[in-house]
Amino acid sequence: MARVQLKNLEKVYGGGVKAVHGIDLDIEDGEFMVFVGPSGCAKSTTLRMVAGLEEITGGEVIIGQTRVNDLPPGKRSIAMVFQNYALYPHMKVRGNLAFGLKIAGKSKPEIETAIDDVARILEIEPLLDRLPKQLSGGQAQRVALGRALIKKPGVFLFDEPLSNLDAKLRASMRVRITDLHRRLKAEGLSSTVIYVTHDQTEAMTMGDRICVMQAGRIMQVATPKELYNHPANLFVAGFIGSPEMNLLEGHLDGSDFVIGAQRLTLGIDVQARLASRPADAVLGVRPQHLTIADDGLEARLTHAEFMGHEVYLHAALEGQKIVAVVGAAEYEALGKAETIRLRPDAQHLHVFDKTDGRNVSLRGGSAAA
Amino acid sequence: MDMQAFNDAQAARRARLMMLQQSIRYVLLFAVGLVMLYPLIWLVGASFKTNSEIFAGAGFLPRNPTLDGYIHGWQTSTPYTFGRFFWNSFLIILPKVIGTAISCTLAAYAFARFDFPLKKVFFVSVIAILLLPNVVTRIPQYILFRDFGWLDTFLPLWVPSALAGDAFFVFMLVQFLRSLPSDMEEAARVDGANSLQTLLYIVVPMLAPALISVCLFQFMWTMNDFLGPLIYLSSVDKYPVSLALKLSIDTTEAFEWNRILAMSVLTIAPALIIFFAAQRYFIEGISAGGVKG
Amino acid sequence: MKGQRFLGLAYLAPYIIGLLVFTAVPFLASLYLSFTDYDLLSAPEWVGWDNFKKLFTRDRTFWKSLNVTLLYVFITVPLKLAFALFIAAILNYRLRFINFFRTAFYVPSILGGSIAIAVLWRYMFASEGLVNMALGTVGLAPVDWFGDPGNALFTITLLRCWQFGSAMVIFLAALQSIDKSLYEAAAIDGASKTRIFFYITLPLLTPVIFFNLIMQMVQAFQEFNGPYIITQGGPLKSTYLLPLYIYDEAFKKFDMGYASAIAWVLFVIIMVLTLIAFWSSKKWVYYAGDKRS
Repeated sequence: MARVQLKNLEKVYGGGVKAVHGIDLDIEDGEFMVFVGPSGCAKSTTLRMVAGLEEITGGEVIIGQTRVNDLPPGKRSIAMVFQNYALYPHMKVRGNLAFGLKIAGKSKPEIETAIDDVARILEIEPLLDRLPKQLSGGQAQRVALGRALIKKPGVFLFDEPLSNLDAKLRASMRVRITDLHRRLKAEGLSSTVIYVTHDQTEAMTMGDRICVMQAGRIMQVATPKELYNHPANLFVAGFIGSPEMNLLEGHLDGSDFVIGAQRLTLGIDVQARLASRPADAVLGVRPQHLTIADDGLEARLTHAEFMGHEVYLHAALEGQKIVAVVGAAEYEALGKAETIRLRPDAQHLHVFDKTDGRNVSLRGGSAAA
Repeated sequence: MDMQAFNDAQAARRARLMMLQQSIRYVLLFAVGLVMLYPLIWLVGASFKTNSEIFAGAGFLPRNPTLDGYIHGWQTSTPYTFGRFFWNSFLIILPKVIGTAISCTLAAYAFARFDFPLKKVFFVSVIAILLLPNVVTRIPQYILFRDFGWLDTFLPLWVPSALAGDAFFVFMLVQFLRSLPSDMEEAARVDGANSLQTLLYIVVPMLAPALISVCLFQFMWTMNDFLGPLIYLSSVDKYPVSLALKLSIDTTEAFEWNRILAMSVLTIAPALIIFFAAQRYFIEGISAGGVKG
Repeated sequence: MKGQRFLGLAYLAPYIIGLLVFTAVPFLASLYLSFTDYDLLSAPEWVGWDNFKKLFTRDRTFWKSLNVTLLYVFITVPLKLAFALFIAAILNYRLRFINFFRTAFYVPSILGGSIAIAVLWRYMFASEGLVNMALGTVGLAPVDWFGDPGNALFTITLLRCWQFGSAMVIFLAALQSIDKSLYEAAAIDGASKTRIFFYITLPLLTPVIFFNLIMQMVQAFQEFNGPYIITQGGPLKSTYLLPLYIYDEAFKKFDMGYASAIAWVLFVIIMVLTLIAFWSSKKWVYYAGDKRS
């Protein structure tokens, strides 16, 4: 059993600076949980508290059945993959892999077998007798992965492991890691993962569930699909999804949303749910949910980014920036037009309260934790 | 849960152990520090004591502080005061430090920023000199300076350094310069500056922290230099403080230690003052030379 | 960087001149001199291997001096390094007042080579000196430091070890440059603090240990100021290090040829030991190094 529970977890630094504000989170056994957020949101700090590399100043961390607050990292049944690999530079790959097992007192044959297994899975057999400085970034990261795997821990912790790799490598490593996770799970081995990243693409493609953090607080915890379709607040809406969701300022009037001189009829009346007066709100709609239609909102085209199959249209709507993703053919059809009419998909509109950022157009109102 | 209580007890024990270890460390460091520094503390205190008091006890505070040691020590038993000897030291140190700074900067600039024939050979020569025991060149150097007619002058003491003779400083500056990006110099080149202008206006300012370290070290080492002056200077009126101090041991009456100690304090005072004023440069300088070496 | 191939050489010119005039030529000259009989008054007279024959077969002073020198080096260098590493390791814990301690330990090494400190040492170990007084306060009998051949060497050994600060600062800088995440990874691997020190820290320090070892050894072989001032090489030549012998032969007796021979023997010894150290370094020095080297 290796579920991880964070109960009211806090981190206060000397001088009273609170970095982590009472986090509550339940991570299921075998779940791939991603912590994502901008720099400074304390996702790494939280991870390091779980690892035992940062002292826990408030709340608890429970791994399996054990409260681990006072246990040293070596006794928490965890393994960690660092951003800069943290491979021991003076030991060969073999030595790096074996180190933890040696400390644990495993016998030589046991260690040898374990190394061979891991080397096969990660395809690092030809590298076993090399020194870390002779490895490329991708190879080094696989070795770091191997070092974690070989310990058969209850929980795997990843601290931005792909940040130092180039884009192509990142893509292939993403697949490798998720494959590994699936494999471990299939074999019934412990496979709980906490994965920290600032890259929302990694988060969306890898996580079973994603915990979006900002300034030491959880903004929303949900599956990628849920986060994409039902962001609970402005922050999550703007953070998840590429290109970013369009966030247009305006105000509600009955069941209409007013932006400057234009009006958009919403399907719902959410004015009552707003905390602000006089009904200021933010309308959210993803670029992929805007189509060029004659009954749409009028916007002045500023420029277009050609992406091959699609085109990103950048325009100005009542002075506010708006981006729409259209097919290449649709774009051709525009010809030399300077204004375009964009119609949002009514099924994918969001209204956010301007003061507290809440998504007031969600059924039920608040985000699921 | 039982696990809970057990974990808590373990945690408490670990915390106690850590505190114990930490206190032991402090005590150890403090004790060592005290033993290390006591001779110096004692030295300063003793310089203000009377001679009889010096031999009376190990304490460092003078009961009746007196400047007697300083006054008489300063006069020395030669026709010159210690002021003269400090001035001589200054006459050696000034050209030496300036010469070192200039020549080593030029050499470092050459190694770090240029390619030229025999570059590798010359760089190896720097390392070789660094490791070379200079005992082996001392005698021929003496003969050389004799042939130049430089005996009993200050020239042998600073001219070699003014020609980047101190490999340690060349090495240190090369390492430092290599770690600086050459972007700004390339920008200067695009702006039309030649290499000398780039050196003076761009590189030297960037090199400043390391240069300060170099000058400080050279100052210290020269103040302490004894063998050099011993070999080359024969006239007492040219003695720097290191030789003068040696002279005073030979000429002072056996029991008049307070004069010798007082002058000793004076000779190390400049070094100490400069060190405390510019600590950072010392520590960083020596680390840069050592860690990357 | 620059197009012109010879511009770099121009900047290196001062160094090259200094190299040739003050190092290369004297180096070769001293080799030549060691095969001559030269008293500075008349021209050098070639005597072939005579100097060396005399040195190895008929010169008891030489053997005594050599023994004392080797003893001195092989005691002080390991002792000084071990202590420097020990203190640096302690200081590496996140202690408060680390700067104070670091300064306190470093100050002796900036002053240590000076005559002033040598003078202080001479006083400290005199029969009525500080050390004997301190021994008296804890009830121990005073020791005859300068009269007893066994003890005199101890005084200058202590002087050298007292200056461990410079080596310590280098070790400390190296310790602090070790990537913290390595310690974290080791902690997660379950390693205890001791294990971490021996399996991670120490191996990563070996380049710096090696560097310090070489530098300290080369310096120790050339120690002059301390023995010259404190013990004058006595009693009974028990502190008559080779540099003192060379000095006496060259500048007191002006037997330049013979002195050069001794200097060359010393040089060869140092070189051989340095080479052994380099050769052995392949076995025990781990270069974490740059990714592209």
